[in-house]
Amino acid sequence: MATEKTDVVIVGAGAAGGILAAELGKAGMKVIALERGPRLTTADFTPHDELRYFQRQELRPNARRQPVTWRANAKARAYPLPILNYGNQAGGGTVHYGAVSWRLHEDDFRARSQTIERYGAAAIPSDSSLADWPLSYADLEPFYDRAEYDLGVSGKAGNLQGRTIDGGNPFEAPRRRDYPLPPLLVDQAGALFETGARKLGHHPFSTPRAILSRPYQGRSACTYCGFCQAFGCHVGAKSSILVTKLPEADRTGNFKAITGAMCYRVNSDAGGRATGVAYYGPDGSDNTIEAELVILAPFIYDNVRLLLLSKTAKFPNGLANSSGQVGRHLMAHIGARVFAAFDDRYVNIYMGPSAQRHTLDDFNADNFDHGGLGFIRGAQVSVSPADLEAGPIGAAISMNPPPGVPRWGAAYRDFLAKYFARHAAITAQTENLPYADQTIDLDPDVRDQWGLPAPRLTYDWRRPNELARVEFMTRKVEELGRAMGATQVWRSPLGSGAPGAHHEGGTRMGSDPATSVVNRYGQSWDMPNLFVVGSSTFPTMSGFNPTLTIQALAYMTADAIVTRYKSRPGPLV
Amino acid sequence: MRKRRASRREFLARAAAGAGAVAGAGLGSGAAAGAQEQHTSTGASAAAQPRSEGQGHGAFFNQEEAAAIAAFTERLMPGAPGKPGAREAGVLNYIDLALAGAYADLQDVYRRGLSALEAHCRKTYNESFARLAAARQDDVIRALDEGTAGGFTWPDAKAFFDTVRTHTMEGLFADPIYGGNKDFAGWRLVGFPGAQPVFTPADMQSRQAFTRAPIIGLQAQAKRS
Repeated sequence: MATEKTDVVIVGAGAAGGILAAELGKAGMKVIALERGPRLTTADFTPHDELRYFQRQELRPNARRQPVTWRANAKARAYPLPILNYGNQAGGGTVHYGAVSWRLHEDDFRARSQTIERYGAAAIPSDSSLADWPLSYADLEPFYDRAEYDLGVSGKAGNLQGRTIDGGNPFEAPRRRDYPLPPLLVDQAGALFETGARKLGHHPFSTPRAILSRPYQGRSACTYCGFCQAFGCHVGAKSSILVTKLPEADRTGNFKAITGAMCYRVNSDAGGRATGVAYYGPDGSDNTIEAELVILAPFIYDNVRLLLLSKTAKFPNGLANSSGQVGRHLMAHIGARVFAAFDDRYVNIYMGPSAQRHTLDDFNADNFDHGGLGFIRGAQVSVSPADLEAGPIGAAISMNPPPGVPRWGAAYRDFLAKYFARHAAITAQTENLPYADQTIDLDPDVRDQWGLPAPRLTYDWRRPNELARVEFMTRKVEELGRAMGATQVWRSPLGSGAPGAHHEGGTRMGSDPATSVVNRYGQSWDMPNLFVVGSSTFPTMSGFNPTLTIQALAYMTADAIVTRYKSRPGPLV
Repeated sequence: MRKRRASRREFLARAAAGAGAVAGAGLGSGAAAGAQEQHTSTGASAAAQPRSEGQGHGAFFNQEEAAAIAAFTERLMPGAPGKPGAREAGVLNYIDLALAGAYADLQDVYRRGLSALEAHCRKTYNESFARLAAARQDDVIRALDEGTAGGFTWPDAKAFFDTVRTHTMEGLFADPIYGGNKDFAGWRLVGFPGAQPVFTPADMQSRQAFTRAPIIGLQAQAKRS
């Protein structure tokens, strides 16, 4: 058992934790980050191997040793999820993600007010906890800008200080300047999507990604090998926290990462102050870190789990939970997806940066009139390989054949042989609303490799608002597939009600301590020297991928700690 | 006990359907112990038989099991002239090695699933699966896929089918170092050039099949045929 003292302890060295480590270290604060996985290097990511990284999920948590259970509702039995789609190493999910990097829309920060203003309060489902954020897009814009330039994001501006720019996203919120790097090259599927979407009157553009289209800050450019989603980048062109902020944190001389370290409790005193954390080391040792400031930045499951596990006599419902909101309002994206097959050309979808490649934003947020549609909020529509990564295992497992073709036998073989290199997926990534009864708590029966109760998700996205949106969006993506010139377009099954990608919620931020867990800086209302940073603080999720917003919030929190909290510790709001 | 089995069945069904899930599909001690008992009687005689070399198994499967899996996977992805199938790609060898290693926790899924498959075929057709005509084998596989084949408990018929299908695709399309995809048979079938480190702008804009470079695997390269 070891005890160490430091200024700041950060749990999780991922998208948010890595940024905070570097920024606080640069300001002269002594930082220790606890990371439960290993710290890999770019050299670990050669050669690419679909079985190892996509199918066997080597860069993600082991679902058996680190189980997370799911049930559709509070009356159902919870079962371990077979796949855990988040990071399990230093750099977190940014190591294996598709690097899609969005700024949210202005109305994403005020989804409740926007809906009421445009459609009336009755348009909001009565059981939804739809809320505004406690900050505006304009508040976060400087930190989006900083994240894009600091990390390296490729894209094209669509709204430069209010001026619409051709070739960018005309629906984006105003930005002070263009992206630091031009858009990545467009692959065949992206080109077809561009043409097809224009035919339909939509506004397609190259998806902004934290992948270098040109050399930047001493790192080399993308080679278009196709191994992004589920893989580490073999040339370091993906702007993961592993190759950007962690080396920067190292150079401060104030940073130490402890890998293989599982934090299991935030310690606090009778005065209501966080005093540090307890963690299990890789050797099974039970250790303590005493810190002036505790920052929680693991995946959202562990933010909630840690707060609940850290209950004391003073805080019997867990830390930061005087509102009773810890664990509530869990959200996740669902992909309404079709497959498109082309007879007149090869698409060679395995080439080029994987994940969501070309996008249209016409049906996202409140960018279109929802009047009479039976749902609010939208979806991001994009073209991609079958399962975001582009290898044949992924296609064989994730792409159901079209109606009339069985999924095995000679006809299936011929289908796959003909269309593997001639298919694309078109997906609407939906903004599912928050509901207070969609929760994360502690599973009473299942424990993980450390003996800790597994996070238990109670969640079912199949609400009337969400089902109506999925059907609307599926028709839109079918239309797009046909406009792209596909010979066949067919639907992918929607599956169960389990949460999909990009989880949000659980430690909601807000303006009122009675209805939220943290303030806009991720600072606990109850315990001012405890911060929670990450998508668990999102009050709503948007149809966009969350990482750049997680990163912008981390820069904003770091800025507030360095410029204000450091000299005068206490509530920032 | 019954509840626990049901939970594992459901888990496995979802596991086999999902990408990457099979490696994480944990079997609890209760069902594993049950499977062990049942296996002792059916497996003992087969295990005593000498194993022949070079048939793409031996790390886990006995000869009867190997024959059944070879036949089953070949029906899932059958070979034809110019179209390499599961047998030519060495899918049996892939699954055999995986079950002796990375997927050791799925050994009982195969033992019990194959045992139920044999019992089903003997009861329905009075013949072992491997010796049935191809069309009959297809009937049996269809009954598994549709969950109508009798005699399966754990894994249920559908879960067993899903597991074998997933592993067949892995054996066809995983890099050859894992024991399948022999001579890049699977990659040649679908036109996947392997782990190319670079695609050029011209590659990205081409509407043709990619032929600029040989297929690249983890340890070897192959000329495009």
